[in-house]
Amino acid sequence: MRLAWAFFCRDAAIALSYRIAFVVQLLGNLLLVGILYYLSRTVGVEKVPSLERYGGNLMAFLLIGVALTDCVLVSLVGFAQQVRESQTTGTLEATLMSPVRLTVILIYSSFWNYFLSAVRFLMYLLAGVAIGGLRIDTVNPLSGLTIFILTVLSFMGIGILWAAVVLLVKRGEALMSMMTVLVFLVSGVLFPVNLLPGWMQWFSNLIPLTAALEGMRLAIMKNATLFELGSIVLQLTGFAVLLPTLGILGFNYAVRIGRRQGSLTQY
Amino acid sequence: MKAINNIASAKTADSRSMSPAVDVRDVWKWYTSSFRFRRTITPTANLRPALKGISFSIPRGGIVGLLGPNGAGKTTLLKILSTLIEVDKGSVLVLGRDVTTDPVHIRGHIGLVTSDERSFYWRLTGRQNLKFFATLYGLPAKHAKDRIAMLLETLGLTEAADRPYYGYSTGMRQKLAIGRGLLSSPELVFYDEPTRSLDPLSAHNIRQWILNNVQQFPNTTHFIATNQLHEAEQLCDRVIILNRGEVITDGSISDIRKEFEKREHVIHRITCRGFSPDGIRWPSADSGLIDIQELPAADSNAVVLHVRTTNDGGALSAVLDTVLRSGGKVLRCETDVVPLDEIFRSLVTADTREKKS
Repeated sequence: MRLAWAFFCRDAAIALSYRIAFVVQLLGNLLLVGILYYLSRTVGVEKVPSLERYGGNLMAFLLIGVALTDCVLVSLVGFAQQVRESQTTGTLEATLMSPVRLTVILIYSSFWNYFLSAVRFLMYLLAGVAIGGLRIDTVNPLSGLTIFILTVLSFMGIGILWAAVVLLVKRGEALMSMMTVLVFLVSGVLFPVNLLPGWMQWFSNLIPLTAALEGMRLAIMKNATLFELGSIVLQLTGFAVLLPTLGILGFNYAVRIGRRQGSLTQY
Repeated sequence: MKAINNIASAKTADSRSMSPAVDVRDVWKWYTSSFRFRRTITPTANLRPALKGISFSIPRGGIVGLLGPNGAGKTTLLKILSTLIEVDKGSVLVLGRDVTTDPVHIRGHIGLVTSDERSFYWRLTGRQNLKFFATLYGLPAKHAKDRIAMLLETLGLTEAADRPYYGYSTGMRQKLAIGRGLLSSPELVFYDEPTRSLDPLSAHNIRQWILNNVQQFPNTTHFIATNQLHEAEQLCDRVIILNRGEVITDGSISDIRKEFEKREHVIHRITCRGFSPDGIRWPSADSGLIDIQELPAADSNAVVLHVRTTNDGGALSAVLDTVLRSGGKVLRCETDVVPLDEIFRSLVTADTREKKS
């Protein structure tokens, strides 16, 4: 626990030392809320028919999509970014010299980013309540928290797996950007999945974000209980067990290859 | 059964504490020059040996230097010993444990000091950096605080400790790197060119600090890879010289010098008076004398002889005897100490020539 806290403090101190960047980033999130607000006003109807399943509120629908996607992005990009950054800044070799496993270092290095992501998630929800017509009495906190944790774990696995690729091939930004856009297209971040053609809907079921968004929206906009979200929770639990296991195995394999080739600290 | 196990594990622990600090046996390391993606798929493509079956052993305590021209394999060897790279063939034991099967344990007992100043977090202070790495090394909070304060004090960084790392001078950064390498009170410390890019004064301070540390903690082993030959001469009890991935010399500097002089030559300068070298019958080449030249002397009454001999000592006494028997008076006799640079250059050049042929 002390080790995790040390990583958290390190990353917090570094992030807060760039004060302007930190504040600008927060302002950017608020601007996004403004964009979503005017986008939902442009549609101009109180209840969007295709969103009836979630209560019809477009602003709340979009906010939850953006908030959860923010957290997913931290997982998808964050781990690989950590590896790449520590390779280019030269700190990877110094941390590799410690008796702590690289996988543990990688996971602990993500805590600050997840904390910020959780803060932003709450900020989006508060904005939804303040100006988006989101009602507190429709929120089921237990279901929301469960879906949040399972989503983080699932995408952590994919992120760690991607970090393994970056550890070996060094550059992977272009491929990652393409995959991220593809995931957003088919998993219903900004529109419901049932508007997609049938074959794309089938594909979207393979992506954990689809189930996560569905579960989170029902938990926050329709007060759905864990029992009511049973199949979604089960599906996400499967992803949350399988993907991190694959991620850690893949990463350990990459570390082994890197050690053998002497390429771990190259960039 | 449990008691037997305890005795067995106590014996193993004891034999480990008695084992050499480093034991390298027939170690090979190949690198491939193909693109990274291809080398992931076909790891044996375009293999190039970086280390070719090297073996040596370092007992606990003292300072050992690792010398060699660029590309000799020094950094590769250091990275293998500090568990950052795996060997392809051979065995490496560090503090009695195998680097391939027990790297995590080894890392808890060794330190690495690099000259890479990028390896710190620039936005954190020196103290915050050390605190973070102390936690990584598993030092308890209270112990870490005291240890960091002590290291900062002895390295002369106490005043700058709470300033951001980006404001440190190169010398201060290098001192902090030494502090990090010694945080966990390691039994074995590796240095990769610890005084590279430092001014002479800072380099001297760091060397002095290492020497003091050796006196204070005689059981700690220091293994220094360096290109600064005078540094090796000043610090090391023993040097290992690598060239093209092979150990070409291993021994104390005085032994290496003696060996070199035996193979090559020793130069003596004899200043004498009341003596003229003209018509003198010098000892034969069998005595070890190579040649004698007369050098101009500051004093017109004196003669300076430049005498080249082999290193068995017989030739010098024969020459001195000849001078004395000819009525000369020996005022001074000096023997040139062959600089380590010259020995290093000669050994590496001869080895490279031999390998090429």
